[in-house]
Amino acid sequence: MAPLTCKARRYILLMAAYDPGMHLGSSLSVLEILAALYGTGRVKFNVANGVKNRNYLVLSKGHAVHAIYAIAAAMGHLTIDELRETGSLGSRLQNHPEVDTPYVDVPNSGSLGQGISLAVGLALGLRLRGEEGRVYLVTGDGELDEGQSWESFAVAAHYGLNNLVTIVDLNDVQLDGHSHEVLKKGDLAGRFKSLGFEVLQVDGHDVGEVVEALEKAEKSDRPVVILAKTVRGRGVPSIEDTAKQRLPRDEALSYANGPC
Amino acid sequence: MLDIQSLTPREALGRALADLGDLREDVVVVVADTGETTRAKFFAERHPGRFFNVGIAEQAMVGIAAGLALAGFMPYALTFAAFLTRAWEQARNSVDRMALPVRLVGTHAGFADAYDGPSHQALEDIALFRVLPNFTVLAPADSCEVYRAVLASAAVKGPVYIRVGRDFHIPTTCELYGRFEVGKAYVAVEGGDVAIFTTGVVLPFAVEAAQILRDRGISAAVVHFPTVKPLDYATVEKYAQATGAVLTVEEHMVHGGFGSAVAEYIVQTRPVKMAIMGLKSYGRTAKSPAELYTYFGLTPENIAARAEELVKLR
Repeated sequence: MAPLTCKARRYILLMAAYDPGMHLGSSLSVLEILAALYGTGRVKFNVANGVKNRNYLVLSKGHAVHAIYAIAAAMGHLTIDELRETGSLGSRLQNHPEVDTPYVDVPNSGSLGQGISLAVGLALGLRLRGEEGRVYLVTGDGELDEGQSWESFAVAAHYGLNNLVTIVDLNDVQLDGHSHEVLKKGDLAGRFKSLGFEVLQVDGHDVGEVVEALEKAEKSDRPVVILAKTVRGRGVPSIEDTAKQRLPRDEALSYANGPC
Repeated sequence: MLDIQSLTPREALGRALADLGDLREDVVVVVADTGETTRAKFFAERHPGRFFNVGIAEQAMVGIAAGLALAGFMPYALTFAAFLTRAWEQARNSVDRMALPVRLVGTHAGFADAYDGPSHQALEDIALFRVLPNFTVLAPADSCEVYRAVLASAAVKGPVYIRVGRDFHIPTTCELYGRFEVGKAYVAVEGGDVAIFTTGVVLPFAVEAAQILRDRGISAAVVHFPTVKPLDYATVEKYAQATGAVLTVEEHMVHGGFGSAVAEYIVQTRPVKMAIMGLKSYGRTAKSPAELYTYFGLTPENIAARAEELVKLR
């Protein structure tokens, strides 16, 4: 998986070089989590919604959608020319997943907490249909401040949705600074456990560990949350573990052109 | 339909959902601890596997309904209108921007919940849902119309907001017309001097006002618009031009609601004299909705008086 994440990380920095409006640090923290899902074929590009027994990815932290674009490009679905246009008025690659955004299973995340409800509703619906497909939900830690997040997790636990696998990208940064300083999240593992979730903890930059946790989650008879410890801005020391979003173009390009 | 007339509006709602569940297997119902009070329990009793209670969590209710729609279902999500609007941003971002076939039903709307006071009395919901580009907005007048509107709503492609009361209604529409068509206005009284347009439960007040006006030698038309959006512009145009004086009446704030929708059309086409009747601030606790209609001036006498003023201004 190392070639995939290396290539995708470079593509994220390429986009950052041309689009200062993107959320760079968050895309870098979530990259290995998404690579674990796409790289193992758990979720796929170019599968139409409604195809029986397919899996879905809900990226509730929609601002990190560039990590999906980067993986799509690394897997040959998008061109470098198209990546360079990300966030431009004429581009189909917008800065949050929209209705017309390609390679996004569930659009209209971005308003934090709302993707969590969408994922729970989707998982409930798939189960009602008797489908075997799963919903992989990727959230940030900052969005766990939202009341709606916990409203929805309570529903997932109450209805025993073991076809929902939640992965929290614990990068400990949100808009105003470090998450634990902006608002204490408490004992997250304890909060999920008390609702009835099975809780797994991994290094979110170790694809192997994430995949192992996914395999375990898929055997559970309960909803599972994988708390994935990550570093915001991973791979770019000047912004690591900060709320910084922007790099000078030269610096971004030097990363983008680095070897894999 | 005769048995529907004997039901309260919320009972008609629950009954309609249960019947709709017989007709369509894709219909699911989501409530926020409101299965009992919205009478969604009628659906739950007949279709228990397709009924979900998410607890007192309106934002999750709307988002989960959107997720169920993504899975191919047609969800009806029900709670008090006053608390549904708490999830307005979810209706915007999770439902309307994808134009999902989610049906949000706000019950106890207007003064229907007189007993619980202004916190429970939604007077802004029409404005809030009307502003969302893809939403259809329905505000039926009585139990018959609630039943018909809910069944008709299933054929709408995008999202729908349905405004329903609780127990108060004056049966008016059962005999007025046969088939409910989304987007169509219904003429309750013909007249040529002034046109009174209504939506929701105030229709019978306007019908009574027309009788009062007739005794004063004024011929008032009463046209009922159970669909606020898309508005029946052709009927607005026809009666505005025929009378030159339009009075709108609604159990809702005068800002942004049904009257505003009518005014937006009229001022941009061929303006006529117009007045908007409704509420200008919050309600209060009372023993019945009827007390509140009187207290806040939504009465046949006041409607007649406003209509008479308009006729003089023509």
